[in-house]
Amino acid sequence: MSDILIAVLRSGTPLIYVALAGMLAQRAGVWHLGLEGLMIAGACAAAVGVEQTGSVAAGLALAVLVCVLGSTLLWFVVEKLRANPIIAGLGLTGLGLGGADLTVQSIYGSEASVTAGAGLPRLGDAFGAFGVLSVLVAAMPVVVLLLWVLLRRTRFGLRLAACGEHPFAARSVGVAPSRMRLIALMGGGVLCALGGAELALGTLQLFSNNMTAGRGFMAFAAVIFGGGHPIGSALAALFFSIVEAAGIKAQLVFGEKAPRDLLLALPYLATVIGVWISGRLRGGLKAAASGGELRDN
Amino acid sequence: MQGEEAALACVDVSVRFGAVAALSGVSLAFAPGRIHAVVGQNGAGKTTFARVCAGMVRPTAGELRIGAQPVPVGKVNAARAAGVELVHQSFALPPSFTIAESMEFGATGSGGIFTRRALEARWTGHLKSLGVDTNLRTRIRDLPVETRQAVEIARALVTDAKILILDEPTAVLSPAGVATLFERLRLLSRRGVTIILILHKIREVLDIAETISVLRGGRLIEAAIPVAAIDAARLATAIIGTPSGSIEAADQAALVGGGGGAAPVETARVSAAAPAGPPVFEMAGVDTRPDGEGRALEGASLTIRRGEIVGVAGVEGNGQHTLVRALAGLAGLDRGSICLGGTDVTAHALAQRRAAGLRIIPFDRNSEGLSLTSALWENWSARRLLLGRLLSPIAPSRLRNACHASLKEWDVRFADTGQPAGSLSGGNAQKVILAREIDADASLVIAAQPTRGLDIGATAFVWQALRASRDRGCGVLLISSDLDELFDIADRVVVMLSGRIAAEFSAPYNLAAVGAAMTGAPQ
Amino acid sequence: MKGKVLSVLRALAFVVVALALCGVVFELAGFSAPLMFQSIADGAFTSPNALMKSLRWAMPLLITACGVLVSFRCGYFNVGAQGQFYLGAIGATVAVEALNGAPPALVVPVAIASGMVGGALWAAWPGFLRIRWGTDEVITTLMGNFLAGLLLVYLTSGPLKDPSGTGQVTASRPVALGYRIATSVGVSPTIIALTLATLVLVWLLVNRTAFGVLSSLAGRNPVMIVWQGAKLSSLGLSAFLVSGALAGLAGAIELLGPNGRLVSGFLPGHGFTAVLIALVAGLSVTGVAVVSMFFGGLAAASLYLPVIAGLPAAAIDVINAAIALFITARTFPLPAALLERLPARRPAP
Repeated sequence: MSDILIAVLRSGTPLIYVALAGMLAQRAGVWHLGLEGLMIAGACAAAVGVEQTGSVAAGLALAVLVCVLGSTLLWFVVEKLRANPIIAGLGLTGLGLGGADLTVQSIYGSEASVTAGAGLPRLGDAFGAFGVLSVLVAAMPVVVLLLWVLLRRTRFGLRLAACGEHPFAARSVGVAPSRMRLIALMGGGVLCALGGAELALGTLQLFSNNMTAGRGFMAFAAVIFGGGHPIGSALAALFFSIVEAAGIKAQLVFGEKAPRDLLLALPYLATVIGVWISGRLRGGLKAAASGGELRDN
Repeated sequence: MQGEEAALACVDVSVRFGAVAALSGVSLAFAPGRIHAVVGQNGAGKTTFARVCAGMVRPTAGELRIGAQPVPVGKVNAARAAGVELVHQSFALPPSFTIAESMEFGATGSGGIFTRRALEARWTGHLKSLGVDTNLRTRIRDLPVETRQAVEIARALVTDAKILILDEPTAVLSPAGVATLFERLRLLSRRGVTIILILHKIREVLDIAETISVLRGGRLIEAAIPVAAIDAARLATAIIGTPSGSIEAADQAALVGGGGGAAPVETARVSAAAPAGPPVFEMAGVDTRPDGEGRALEGASLTIRRGEIVGVAGVEGNGQHTLVRALAGLAGLDRGSICLGGTDVTAHALAQRRAAGLRIIPFDRNSEGLSLTSALWENWSARRLLLGRLLSPIAPSRLRNACHASLKEWDVRFADTGQPAGSLSGGNAQKVILAREIDADASLVIAAQPTRGLDIGATAFVWQALRASRDRGCGVLLISSDLDELFDIADRVVVMLSGRIAAEFSAPYNLAAVGAAMTGAPQ
Repeated sequence: MKGKVLSVLRALAFVVVALALCGVVFELAGFSAPLMFQSIADGAFTSPNALMKSLRWAMPLLITACGVLVSFRCGYFNVGAQGQFYLGAIGATVAVEALNGAPPALVVPVAIASGMVGGALWAAWPGFLRIRWGTDEVITTLMGNFLAGLLLVYLTSGPLKDPSGTGQVTASRPVALGYRIATSVGVSPTIIALTLATLVLVWLLVNRTAFGVLSSLAGRNPVMIVWQGAKLSSLGLSAFLVSGALAGLAGAIELLGPNGRLVSGFLPGHGFTAVLIALVAGLSVTGVAVVSMFFGGLAAASLYLPVIAGLPAAAIDVINAAIALFITARTFPLPAALLERLPARRPAP
């Protein structure tokens, strides 16, 4: 039982961090499809940082720096140049994927992966079987809770939500939606860095090209499925990871009898179903994107 | 103004939006503790003026003073810190917020972490003192329009506001609601708040204001003159400008909201056409399915005859939107039937209803009526193209020529049929919709708030178009929140209340009776 | 007309901005930016051979981009061209396998049709979910890309696996030479004819039918067109189907033409590049024809770079991504003081 739980937490934690980033952006009124790119950039920067300096802290710092810069770029393009957030987000994703590939090739020749040599600190023996998990896994529930308090129980949270739901209302009390979006995106950048670092350094201590495999998009779907709510988004992300873990487990149990590639498809299918359900529950996009300014092309 | 420090003063304020001058050199000072009115027709620059005062619009030139202190312009925070608050015409609170959250969201000073209960405890007293007794957990989107406005006012007063500006606060209210609002404002005024009301109805202005300023075409025509020094006729002239010969006296009175005097308007105009003909539209006992898009209809029945204009009055949010959607076939019906020209169209889609002669001027010109980023000819041709098959070939040049001719006929000012619809002024845009919707085959024209936001000339144009349709034998259904408009041009007026047709009146109309029916008060 | 010229100039300006950003990225990653751009130009445009290769890549891209254009004009962000492209190739493969031995005059048209059906079906389910329940099509079509990729892996390593292949490469049996519509060079009369036919037909659809005008209105303001009596379901679903069918057509052409067999994960950036082409072209059909050539050149360069110049092909991905980042921008960066004076976001009245 505990091995399944560990598997879920391992694959779920990066997803949850990134989903929280998407949730922050969503609440502020930005459709964040750049999550995938920020996640891979965070993973790559963390692994390369550790490999080059030998220090995990330096790796994390590099990841945070890269992701915050990437988020700022997205903010500039969407808010200042008024680009379509969906396409610009996909562009940022491409930039992250391509940039990571380019970096790895430039530093390590033609290798498609980087072995970091050191990983995030583990929880340790005090936690029994869970001791193999990284500290970021343990920090995850705390982060979820803190974000919930920040967004649902402070004036800042109300103002951030107003920027997404009714920017005019925000402006009319002197809140600049654009600035709030920058804050939300930069905060999301930090969360993406954590998610990426956990992905690369949590268990494997390895970065390989395309290792996010659509997790950033799943995180975005988790935001929709979770109704833009911090706890809801985290639970939705957790649900996707449970499906993924179940697929892996089924493979171990049934072996060759179950087609491997179709089991790998389970999380993607779960994502589609999750988005479909949330559409049915909440009237879909209309509810999620009530800021009409966002999708007018 | 001598010897008295102004609560708020604008000095030589000008605002330009692109090539349009919204305000030109407006200098105006408001004495403290009074109720001031700023009046003018649509497009006169009233809203822009209010937004400049509240820091939401940065003027191209000019400055703002509060007391003797200059206030940085174009900064909401600076204006709020100086005690200026604005209640917008289109309300500005996120619909998903609770009342308590709406208060906290606009508050200044230290915040910290709150609990729901603490939040409610903090704001109950404030809301009670302003006459809001609703449960503080109610969400904004679930509030009736009167309460919503009261909450907006309460939101504006969470800080220690010294100057409260309200932009067209009466536009959405019933006569009783207006009376309540004015009571509330007088109370605030006695507490020392300076109140600036943006209004356009002379009757209301004379009822509440202590000083009156008039804007016309972005220029100041009258500057804060005491109400005793002006009468309705002079005010009407100030608002409209040189009386235009093309507008009849009764229309003119309706346009400025009872120019004839402070008493309720009682017009006795009869239809120019012969007594109305056979029914063109019959709706019987219609219930709509609740769909989260406005109040559902509950047993609504209505008949419209050929050659008559039927007006629909009612406080916003009593099912007017659903009524139009039901007529268009865009709302699901649980019960009841709808007949168009004698044929039961209950199960028909909008395309079929349109083929049968239904025409709609929808509520929201900019989203339901036109695609602002699309070319004029595309907007104009949509209805015709939908009569044919999807893959039927078209000749764009021919469509453009037809569109050009039609728009010319309707007196639309435009440069090229390829220009986007959004580049037209509100009045011209509405004329494009008229050009598309009113044709020889029309048998029932539904006009939902067709004059909202239009200036006087365009409003009179729309009224003429509706009357001409009636005289040609169309049935016309006019939904309006402006009773003066309804009384002026409708042959009959029905009142919507809680999703049903609650009462019917015919000319001469009695404002008090119609107003009572709108709030469901016993007569 | 003036508006059109302006929008072309703006698109060009942002492509330049994007390329400048790429230059910075290249330098940061430790490559010489001038050398990189020089090599890309060599691989794409500066010799007849390179131009031929660019044309080879441009034609399938053009077809897919035409499909993307149809759905984008209608207001649907169908970013699933990659998956629809794969399903097109799979559909064609299935047809070829099923009809193996029949005369080419039968097999080739059937395979192409089957590819188009495959692509259309892969666009149909996100389209249906979107139109029936409002399910966000961006997510569903993206997930569709991943699912189609996995399906391709499954088929090429299972049911459609080339029995004579080595264990490592997952690919289907090569298409018999008689059924091929082009050699690996990829430029043949058949493909040119199919590309031109697509171009003309889509131009007519967009510019000379009621569907073209109505779908453009629906894309810009779906509410307005509903109030005119349009059924968004039929407009939208047709847009999705046309869009998927064209991506499927491109997939079938790749399979019967230059590729010659199904390989797992082939042409991974095809769909995304097609989306870019449609956007850079400002959703105009004639624009797509021109812009395809540019991106076809980049695609050619991405093969040239690692083989000839010894530079990473990911450089092309970075360029594409940077263009995507900027291409929908609507304003130039101006000082904040100036921006505030412009009625950029005039509050609603």
